[in-house]
Amino acid sequence: MQKLSYLKPESLQQALEYLNQYNAKVKPYAGGTDLMVQLREGSSRLKDVEYLMDLQDIAELRGIEVKDDCISIGAMTSHTQVNESEVLRRYVPFLSVASSTVGSTQIRNKGTVGGNICNASPAADTLSPFVSLNARLTVVSVDGAREVMVKDAMEKAGKLKLAANEMVTRIVIDRLDGYETAFIKLGRRKALAISRMNAAVAVKLEGGVIADVRIAPGCVFATPDRVECAEALVKGKAPSAALFEEAGKAVSEEMIKRTGIRWSTEYKKPVVEALVQRALCRACGLPED
Amino acid sequence: MPLLGEMKKNYRVLNQSKPRIDGVDKVTGRAHYAADLKFVDMVYGGCLRSGRSHAKVVKMDTSKAKSIPGVLAVVTADDMPKPKSCAGNAPYMYLTNEVKYAGDVVAIVCAETKPLVAEALAAIEVEYEDLPGVYTIRDAIKPGAPAVHPQYPDNVFTDSLYPIRKGDVEQGFAQADLIIEREYETQYIEHSYIEPEAVVCIQNPADGVMTVHSSSQNPFFTRRYVADVLGVGMNEVRVFQETLGGSFGGKEEGVGMVAARCAYLCRLVGRPVKMTFSREESFLESAKRHPFLLRYKAGVMKDGRIVAWEGTQIDNCGAYNNQTQFMNSRASIHSCGAYTIPNVKTDTYGVFTNNIHGGAMRGYSSPQLLWGQEQFIEEIAEELGMAPLEFRRINCLKDGTTNATGTVLDHVNIQEIMDYTTAKTDYQSKREAYKAQTSTKKRKGIGLAIAHRGCGLGAESPDASGAMAIANEDGSVLINTGLAENGQGLKTAFAQIAAEAIGVPYETIRFYGTDTQAIADSGMTVASRGTVMGAQSTRKVGFKLNEIMRANAVALGFFKDQAQVKGPEDIVLEDGFFHSVKQPETKVAFKDVCNASLWSGRQMAAYEWFMPPACIQDHHTGQGVAFPNYAYGCVVAEIEVDMETGYVDVQKVTASHDVGTAINPALVLGQIYGGILMGQGYAVTEEVEVSNGKVRNQNFENYIIPTAADMPEMDVNIFECDDDRGTFGAKSIGEPATEVVGAAIANAIYNATGKRIRENPANLERVLLGKKLR
Repeated sequence: MQKLSYLKPESLQQALEYLNQYNAKVKPYAGGTDLMVQLREGSSRLKDVEYLMDLQDIAELRGIEVKDDCISIGAMTSHTQVNESEVLRRYVPFLSVASSTVGSTQIRNKGTVGGNICNASPAADTLSPFVSLNARLTVVSVDGAREVMVKDAMEKAGKLKLAANEMVTRIVIDRLDGYETAFIKLGRRKALAISRMNAAVAVKLEGGVIADVRIAPGCVFATPDRVECAEALVKGKAPSAALFEEAGKAVSEEMIKRTGIRWSTEYKKPVVEALVQRALCRACGLPED
Repeated sequence: MPLLGEMKKNYRVLNQSKPRIDGVDKVTGRAHYAADLKFVDMVYGGCLRSGRSHAKVVKMDTSKAKSIPGVLAVVTADDMPKPKSCAGNAPYMYLTNEVKYAGDVVAIVCAETKPLVAEALAAIEVEYEDLPGVYTIRDAIKPGAPAVHPQYPDNVFTDSLYPIRKGDVEQGFAQADLIIEREYETQYIEHSYIEPEAVVCIQNPADGVMTVHSSSQNPFFTRRYVADVLGVGMNEVRVFQETLGGSFGGKEEGVGMVAARCAYLCRLVGRPVKMTFSREESFLESAKRHPFLLRYKAGVMKDGRIVAWEGTQIDNCGAYNNQTQFMNSRASIHSCGAYTIPNVKTDTYGVFTNNIHGGAMRGYSSPQLLWGQEQFIEEIAEELGMAPLEFRRINCLKDGTTNATGTVLDHVNIQEIMDYTTAKTDYQSKREAYKAQTSTKKRKGIGLAIAHRGCGLGAESPDASGAMAIANEDGSVLINTGLAENGQGLKTAFAQIAAEAIGVPYETIRFYGTDTQAIADSGMTVASRGTVMGAQSTRKVGFKLNEIMRANAVALGFFKDQAQVKGPEDIVLEDGFFHSVKQPETKVAFKDVCNASLWSGRQMAAYEWFMPPACIQDHHTGQGVAFPNYAYGCVVAEIEVDMETGYVDVQKVTASHDVGTAINPALVLGQIYGGILMGQGYAVTEEVEVSNGKVRNQNFENYIIPTAADMPEMDVNIFECDDDRGTFGAKSIGEPATEVVGAAIANAIYNATGKRIRENPANLERVLLGKKLR
């Protein structure tokens, strides 16, 4: 394993100064559940790293704040905290569900939502609910702060579009008052499994009609995104299994449009259709089978 | 033959769930494993693996590695007097310049710290020339395929060929109303023990004895490798087996190789050396369960009788082998399942490839074979239009029938066990109901499979063993034997067996584990033989000590007041007390007789050897007596298949096993629970993915074993019988516990989906698409 120096800033300001000073040589350490594995594997993406910067003492990265139109989640909030948060369970239950499916109890206790996003794996379990929630990252450096949509933040698998002196402090999400949500994950086993695929949806029903909907499939695009054509297809219509089957097909068509036919498409196409349909049925209280 | 508890066996210590001897140490974390050991001046060893499937080392430069301060030694095949090990017909290499698989080691290093070992390994410069390789069974048997070993030009491991020729198979097919042929293929799987391989070596500077603390399944086996690499007598090598974190057949050759390399470094640098494998190294070098290509053809009559059975069972040996030539004996004996068929012709043989080697893994061919055979049986029944349960009833082994080796069987309880298990699970009606499901979302399935298994080593090798028992002056007893605790509970079972035979309480017995300088080799702890046959000598020495101590009690005058006691035959020793047959209320404590025996110079210890009646088979036909007896089992699996994703949810497994005598019922349950989960992994998620010899998954993030969350509901039914050929009537359970689970799950999948999975495992893609994705 490569030899690294350890930094433990006590304030956000100090962390930002370290980042500004060492740039790409410093790697923020949140829960370490991905980072330590990558270090052990000698991952090439960490070859220039000389410092690990432990973020655990920085108060600005903690806490869940509910505002009138949004919720702000500190980047260092653990999956367990997200799962157990009363407010998140009330306003965005599918994010809570997604957090409960990450890895194992130990991983959920250490791993953070900020880390889950910044690790930039297209298979991250929380990405699809975040994308459905129009999540934006608060990105900060010594030069100031800016906001980046989660769906636009990823340059490619494993890399975010952040400057070397920037870091993510908070994730701000929509408050989905009056929406029903669902998250469905397909893994190879019931715990300690990465998503083979997943689907996150949020539906707002008004008078028996879908007034608003968000559909985000996971592990199907190079970078996470909602599928607007599928959303448009169901909006304004009454929920039904047949309608949601159509929505599933729209998602799989979009997947093929964006990624082309690949060796895995034969499997992914029917499965993503099924997951999207089921998630929509679950959110609308329709039977799934 | 009844369920546990229904049959009065009248044992005083057996049939009881005594606490494990090593239980408290394990659950409190107090137990020491080899990797936990530390010694003064201890340094570390490590291995450089080629990562190539087939290549020649053209040039190796170790000068940079050697120049790193703190690096004590760098050794290559050119430096080692005997880089070829003593194991097998195609021996493993301690070090090699001719790489035959990705785990082959081309250099070893020794350094002051573990990070320095890693630094030194990274500093070794090697230039390779890649060579064409052969990777699959199908490719290996193609004419003109590159030969893995020059002594086996067509890659067929001829020493591992075992034929069965029973009756006249041509005549059988001629008579048959229907002939059916199928092909099944199984995968490489990893043992997945929690403790990777670990060894610490220390050489005594005075007498030169090399002491090895190791995670060996078979310490005497490890000793052979260490003596071999050092070129010294076996009496100059002392192997201690440390607490083992699982083995399941995987810590045989593998740990021998680690121990040999570590001992070589230890002697070279003159300091204690520790060598431990990372999980990735364990995946790369430890043996795997052999993949099998199984081709079966059966001839059946309309009334359901199987009259002819032909089979070719080809296993992938990988690059080296020390197991296939033994394992295929078992595979041939069990080549037509738990059925009596008059005409059988099967051939079983291995082929070499440039892959990780196959080795022993819990079942020793039976999980693979049963996975194919028990699906084939159902495919035949379906072609006949017969219910698979009825078809099994017609053809399964019964008292007085013969199995593939022509042995006339007795004490056969398989039909009773099957009928009990299928009734308890409501198998027939569920199966019919599930067949009619039309849901495109989720469907339930129920699957049945049965097995018989030869107990112990049988004709493969003499099932002999030796054991020692020592009574101390305080009445405590030490037992020792060459068999080893592998986590299965052997120490506990052996202490119960010794207590039963001697006539003392279980709690007064201690068994501390294996030290190769303290006892003679008793053969390996394999083949589910430990309790069944390996403990026969423990039972024998227990009876001997009982006899000795009764003689002492009489000779020392403890019964001088009882005129009717003329000799030792007039008294008994039980529960730690002697008493006369006629006056049982007057008791003499075992410890008092022990104390008096010591000070009067009388014998208080014994060593006994047990040699079972020979099992003899004709090698050309396989006919004869293959095993002393067989254990029978039946498993019913209940599952739910997600028809849209291919996800198989194993919901309930009902396992019924004939264990003869349940020496310790809690340990029997432990074996079966673990066996069910291993069988589930085999059937659904586990596969070491090899691509041209390269292992894609080398750790547990992508080698998927079931977790606690995946565990199904388990219902275990323990059957006993009065077959007395095993120790106190015990039969094998370690391997029976897992061997037939996968087949039951595969049949349940078919019941749910109507599609056969003929290539294991039934992962998401295979269940949904009927094929592997890539």
